[in-house]
Amino acid sequence: MSQSIQFSLFKLFLILFLFINNCGFVLAQNKEFKLPVLEGKVTDSKTGEPIRGATISLDFKKSGIITDSSGYFSIYLSSGEYIVKVSHVGYKPFRIKIPLRSDYRLDVQLDDITKTLEEVIVSSQATRKDIQTPSLGVTILSIKGIKKLPAMMGEVDIIRSLQTLPGVSSVGEGSNGINVRGGAIDQNLIFIDDAPIFNPTHLFGLFSVFASDAIRELELYKGGVPSRFGGRTASILDIKMTEPNLEKFKLQGGIGLVSNRAMVEVPIIKDKLSVLAAGRLSFNDFWFKLIGPDNIKNTRANFYDLATKVFYRPNKNNTISLSTYVSSDFYQVDSLFSLENVIARRTQFDYGHLNFSGRWSHYFNTRLSMDVVGVLSKYKTRTYAPDSVNRIELTNSIDYKNVKVNFDYNPNDNHKINFGLSGVRYDISPGILNQNVKSRIAAVILPEEQSMEYAAYVDDEYKVNSKFTIQAGFRFAFFTNLGPYSIRKYAEGQPRTANSLIGTEEIGSGSVEKSYSGLEPRVAMKYSFGENATVKFGYNRMQQFIQILSNNTTPLPTSRWKTSDSYIKPQVSDFLSLGYFRNIQENVFELSAEAYYRQTDNVVDFISGANLQLNKSIETQVVSGQAKAYGLELMLTKKRGEMSGWISYTYARSLQQVRGDFPELQQIAGGNWYASNYDKPHSVNMMLNIQPTKHHSFAFTFAYNTGRPFSSPSGIFQLDNKRYPVYETRNNDRISDYHRLDFSWTITNPSLKERRWEGSWTFTVYNLYGRKNAYSVFFKPTGGGIRPYELSVFGAPFISLSYNFKFL
Amino acid sequence: MKSILLHILIFTTLFVSSCVAPLDNFQQVANKSFLTIEATLNNLSEPQTVYLFMSSPDVENTYFLPISNATIFYTDEKGVRTDLSETSLKGIYQTSGNFVGRIGGTYTLTIETRDGKKYKSLPETMRPVPEIENLINRFEILDNYGVGDPQRAGFNLYLDFQDLPSEGDNYQWTWKHYQKLDYNICTTCLKGYFDFRLNTCVLPRPATEKNLSYECDGTCLDISYSTDLNLFSDAYSNGQRVTGKKVARIPYDDITPYYLQLEQRGITKNSYNYYQSLKIQTQNTGTLFDVPAETRYSVNIKSTTNPDEKILGVFDVFSSKKKVFYIDRTKGTGTQPVKNIPLESTIFVCTPLDVQERGCKDKTSCQENRYRTKIKPEGWRD
Repeated sequence: MSQSIQFSLFKLFLILFLFINNCGFVLAQNKEFKLPVLEGKVTDSKTGEPIRGATISLDFKKSGIITDSSGYFSIYLSSGEYIVKVSHVGYKPFRIKIPLRSDYRLDVQLDDITKTLEEVIVSSQATRKDIQTPSLGVTILSIKGIKKLPAMMGEVDIIRSLQTLPGVSSVGEGSNGINVRGGAIDQNLIFIDDAPIFNPTHLFGLFSVFASDAIRELELYKGGVPSRFGGRTASILDIKMTEPNLEKFKLQGGIGLVSNRAMVEVPIIKDKLSVLAAGRLSFNDFWFKLIGPDNIKNTRANFYDLATKVFYRPNKNNTISLSTYVSSDFYQVDSLFSLENVIARRTQFDYGHLNFSGRWSHYFNTRLSMDVVGVLSKYKTRTYAPDSVNRIELTNSIDYKNVKVNFDYNPNDNHKINFGLSGVRYDISPGILNQNVKSRIAAVILPEEQSMEYAAYVDDEYKVNSKFTIQAGFRFAFFTNLGPYSIRKYAEGQPRTANSLIGTEEIGSGSVEKSYSGLEPRVAMKYSFGENATVKFGYNRMQQFIQILSNNTTPLPTSRWKTSDSYIKPQVSDFLSLGYFRNIQENVFELSAEAYYRQTDNVVDFISGANLQLNKSIETQVVSGQAKAYGLELMLTKKRGEMSGWISYTYARSLQQVRGDFPELQQIAGGNWYASNYDKPHSVNMMLNIQPTKHHSFAFTFAYNTGRPFSSPSGIFQLDNKRYPVYETRNNDRISDYHRLDFSWTITNPSLKERRWEGSWTFTVYNLYGRKNAYSVFFKPTGGGIRPYELSVFGAPFISLSYNFKFL
Repeated sequence: MKSILLHILIFTTLFVSSCVAPLDNFQQVANKSFLTIEATLNNLSEPQTVYLFMSSPDVENTYFLPISNATIFYTDEKGVRTDLSETSLKGIYQTSGNFVGRIGGTYTLTIETRDGKKYKSLPETMRPVPEIENLINRFEILDNYGVGDPQRAGFNLYLDFQDLPSEGDNYQWTWKHYQKLDYNICTTCLKGYFDFRLNTCVLPRPATEKNLSYECDGTCLDISYSTDLNLFSDAYSNGQRVTGKKVARIPYDDITPYYLQLEQRGITKNSYNYYQSLKIQTQNTGTLFDVPAETRYSVNIKSTTNPDEKILGVFDVFSSKKKVFYIDRTKGTGTQPVKNIPLESTIFVCTPLDVQERGCKDKTSCQENRYRTKIKPEGWRD
């Protein structure tokens, strides 16, 4: 009551104050006390045409006066200093501080930003390529844009940045990889200059693996995947490394809290040959020892990335580029959590990629070009316990070799034809424990697995008329698992277990154990309504012959990869999408709405209590099922101007049904559909980038999503004087909703001088309001029952400062 | 200097901010009850016991409905049948006489409930177990639990043993702890009083505000059990000497010596697999990499009348070696013991006059059950 009186009094006071003020103004005029006038004309800087409806606001107030049809404005003001802002949609705002003592003339020319470069990080469709292409669900991100996003601990992070996009999420903070439109993380194929990345994160999911300086741009295909890509069912992330500068030496880098970076571009033969080398190194883990609590004093966590690229252009028709990428992680913890039944005080993990790719591009003529690509990629992991008697050394690796040839043929302006061939060989070592190691722990060696994946593809983008374009094609994939291989045979009509094993069939070296093949149709079409609006439709089928075998919430970097065989069938997904895209106000804004539906068969899950590590008969642990995902993504982007950014809302579901071949024994959640670990129906993402001057920029990102599912117990049972929760169904409840606001402030060239050396400071706060977002909910037995607990990963604001430099 | 301070800030926030906290507003979304068969057969000279209860559908107000009047028996490989009979406590069945399991013996469990449901186990063979060797304990703090959480501080107990030469040996460690009752209080009646004729607490109407407590009329000890599952398989270390195996975590709720009966068990593969899945569900949780929470239904007991019925529990046939000792808990440093806070109550005391005139009683007797006993265990020091 008293508060409301106070509030009313306050309002009354305000009204009186305003009234008195107005009165004073009127009285002053009556006394013929002339006020200075601020007047002027607002015109377009390029055309000189007057701008009608431009806003003139004073001292940061929202309202102001507007210009008339001749671009003219005028306002009486009392003497004083004013900050005047002149703005109009589609133009870069103009600001000035004026001391107003007498009449003041202010003529302003505004720059049309619809013709300036896009400032925004991302576009919901391939605008840069062309709004007119029929492809759907394609997002292009420039690294320049990603660098503007507030980065956790100051580390520019591609995987984290992607999660600000509609349709891209993860299980939670610190989890490994991304989930694209309801797909699992191993359903994404990530390339960096044609070489695959099997584990996209450092330190068990904390940071992305890529050396950001060396990256030019990323293309994320969330659905409409062109026929030249295949092999995974959810998405393709194609990362392109920067082509080294052929003319000028360039050096850039940065010093951050977690890692330090440097990149150098050196032209060797001007306009013909140049080299790039970029590295990122983290060695700041000594803080664990110095200031960490006892239980993490012995923790070590270091990583590095190294990327090099040689670019050679002998003549106008040929370019050759050779890229290498190396990533490495070293992690040491006091307790062992990766190998059951081994006692060790300390465990070390190291893992990383060693990738090499070469590309030769040849231009036959303006209508026909060819790319020949060769790739060697190795991802290996090692788990090591340096114990004196219980020493363990567990390794696994995946070798990937790929040769492909791709042709682009444009017979006329209405057809763009793309076709090619690809062959991949996989050599997987699923696990070797203690080979040639002296220890009480025995040696276990799982035999190597080898397979081939061939593909032929063609598609044609046919522009039927100015409004309608169709892109249609197919990819034919043929997969074969090769010997030497042991097929364990199980009794007919019984689930595969150690008890139903009846014998083993040996497949000789190079012989075929099992083959699969299938046609993958790819269709995308676009219909334009005028210049600024299009409707698109797409359908594609994708097959996947390799997957991670992991039943963890998020796979460990040491998880086993497995290609298809007699028992594990390839995953097949059918994907449908429909989109509406509209450019508003001369491309300043872009509105998009995309709906999709995906059905995937033969997804892999595991029997209850599965044992996946070093298991020679892994088929006894695997159960297959199906998955479906659907959603609607709405996004509004402001692409240009002093303030740019986007807001998106996504409704998305990701569901699974796993029944296995013997539902009564193998089915999960009673054979019903259940939500996947990354099913988060509602999410809102917002990004705002403000660049008021050349030297300062501010960015905010906000993320909200429904909490992810967890399995909630339906009771308790007692056994051997201990109490345990009964989990009858999977993922039947949800953790609390997630939301987070981040902020960053970048000061570029603080010295304000134009020099060859350009430095910038970035101050970042991650999780600005320090919300303890839950990662998971779990239950622990206590004396009388069970107690629910909540795990949060980054439950406090993270402040960081990093320095970046460029030498041009 | 500034940069160093910033580093400190970052790394401390990282490890302070990643935390585990109890969830206060949890609400159960599903309820279901399953038949739970807890059947053991071992070589210890004690009655062999089968517990037959329904699981509690409520996780907070737990209630395990006993299944009474069932016919339960073991059959060995020679077809010799040993019956169990229901004790005075409903749902608990025990053998009588000197029957114990024999190492190398193969046993099957059969259960028939009063309403005609039949259950049968797979045959399980009792495996041998080696001696416990070289026990040590160490005080350790788990920093991921907050100060004041009983899980935070405790004594870890490590032992060595020689794995048997045979392949496929599986082990389990359990412990039992006895301690005197706090203030020797046997019974506390919540907002009521103890009726000595009915031998139970009664709630008057209207209820009194006070909680009344009654001392025991003789020796009475609380029994508590290991809360963690400690398992080991010799899959990677057959025939080796196993050293430094953590087998228990003793709570730090006081600094008094801690009486402990430690049992080392040689269990079957089915028991190992069953307990291992329970361990994954309850102990390997709270990391970024948890596996899906999923209850494994019984691996070695099936219903013969309704093969689709889901049963909880296991027929656990094991041999056992025991060790009894005290743990010195004065070595806990850096933190205070988290004591159990007793319920606020008033101890009921009869005046000598009341005793004389009205036959007033103020001491209750010790109720024998899973968690309480009058009998002092072996090795007990008063």
